[in-house]
Amino acid sequence: MATTRKIITDPLSDNNPITIQVLGICSALAVTVQVDTAFVMSLAVISVLTLSNVIISAMRNLIPGKIRMIVEVTVIASLVVLTDQILRAYLFEMSRQLSIFVGLIITNCIIMGRAEAFATQNPVRPSLMDGLGNGLGYSVILLLVASGREILGSGTWYHVRVLPEAYYGNGLAVLAPGAFLILGIIIWIQRTLTGNFKDD
Amino acid sequence: MSKPKSDKQTFLFAFIVLAVCSMLLSATAAALRDRQQRMVEFDRKRNVLLAFGVEIRHEDGTRFTPEDVDRVVEQNIREVIIDAETAEIIPGLTRADVDPRHIRNKIKLPLYLWEENGDVRRYAFPISGYGLWSTIYGYIALETDLATIAGITFYEHGETPGLGAEIERPWFREQFKGKVLYQDGEPVEFKVAKGRADVQYPDRIDHAVDGISGATFTGQGVAEFITRDFKLYNRFFENIRNQ
Repeated sequence: MATTRKIITDPLSDNNPITIQVLGICSALAVTVQVDTAFVMSLAVISVLTLSNVIISAMRNLIPGKIRMIVEVTVIASLVVLTDQILRAYLFEMSRQLSIFVGLIITNCIIMGRAEAFATQNPVRPSLMDGLGNGLGYSVILLLVASGREILGSGTWYHVRVLPEAYYGNGLAVLAPGAFLILGIIIWIQRTLTGNFKDD
Repeated sequence: MSKPKSDKQTFLFAFIVLAVCSMLLSATAAALRDRQQRMVEFDRKRNVLLAFGVEIRHEDGTRFTPEDVDRVVEQNIREVIIDAETAEIIPGLTRADVDPRHIRNKIKLPLYLWEENGDVRRYAFPISGYGLWSTIYGYIALETDLATIAGITFYEHGETPGLGAEIERPWFREQFKGKVLYQDGEPVEFKVAKGRADVQYPDRIDHAVDGISGATFTGQGVAEFITRDFKLYNRFFENIRNQ
């Protein structure tokens, strides 16, 4: 069980898909202006990533090598469209705010990356754990960046005011450069704390 | 990916994967279509109500359900369609009969009448136009003088969250109440200031609101299409004024 735990905990810090592997940056910038959108995006990515890992792992001995990646993309794309449809029907407001970024989960490198690197070579159970772990690792960073941006940019957290009403809101935090800065600071802090970086 | 597969197996596998995926997606799309359309329609009606100044909450603070919205719309709102060319109501025509493209291109103009005991108390109509990144859609409601703004909403746009998207926020929308679009027999050029309206437009504060910091272009767009769309409907309003 020690290895199972490692599969989940590793991507949270030491092998985090965003801060260490620097994958999935596009959506990490786009949906992190406010915490609520980042939260729903996280749930969407966790479910797509976990399910795609499970399905691809279950089929790993059947998938013909020649069309391996096409099959992976087909599975991922189907799951993403499914998620998008469900959001539109049940979380209409939210799907409007996330707009195109739910569809763009298809191109999120984390998902294809985990399918290729893990699910095609491991049984279903560890693949499930790997999907969950990487999904959570993505979510933690997404929510951290979103928290930073919403507090600095709007003075609120999850639409609840945390800074005094007089706080004007920092426009930079709302725009994409703000996300880069906050993400950079998070990576800096993480690497300093864990000492986990390669200096060639 | 244990042992290499023959071409036949490869084709068969691809076929099965595609068949399963497409069936799954078609089934989901078909199953959810009604609900999705209801949500779009609910959102549209809710925004008409918001423009009319209806609190879309119950007294205990819970939000209106789609049924509540339908009930209020049914009870109080009458919709007519105006022909943009003749500026006359097209009798007997409802939204369902009109090509949506005609509404989008403002060839046919929907007008909502808020009625109480048979009297029209307010008018509302859709407004839309470019902001900075996207087309913004909304509704604006007027008092019976057909000049004073009673309320405004914006419900669909792709402006920057936190900047241009602030047009959705109550603080921005509330400012429009009581502002005037028509004076001395003429439609007025409406303005969204860069910064504070009382600083930038001190002598025409009735026709201007404060802008959003960091969203000057969105504000300019909003002001332009409010002015433009009001002029479209004003030709019909002149008929009412002359009665």
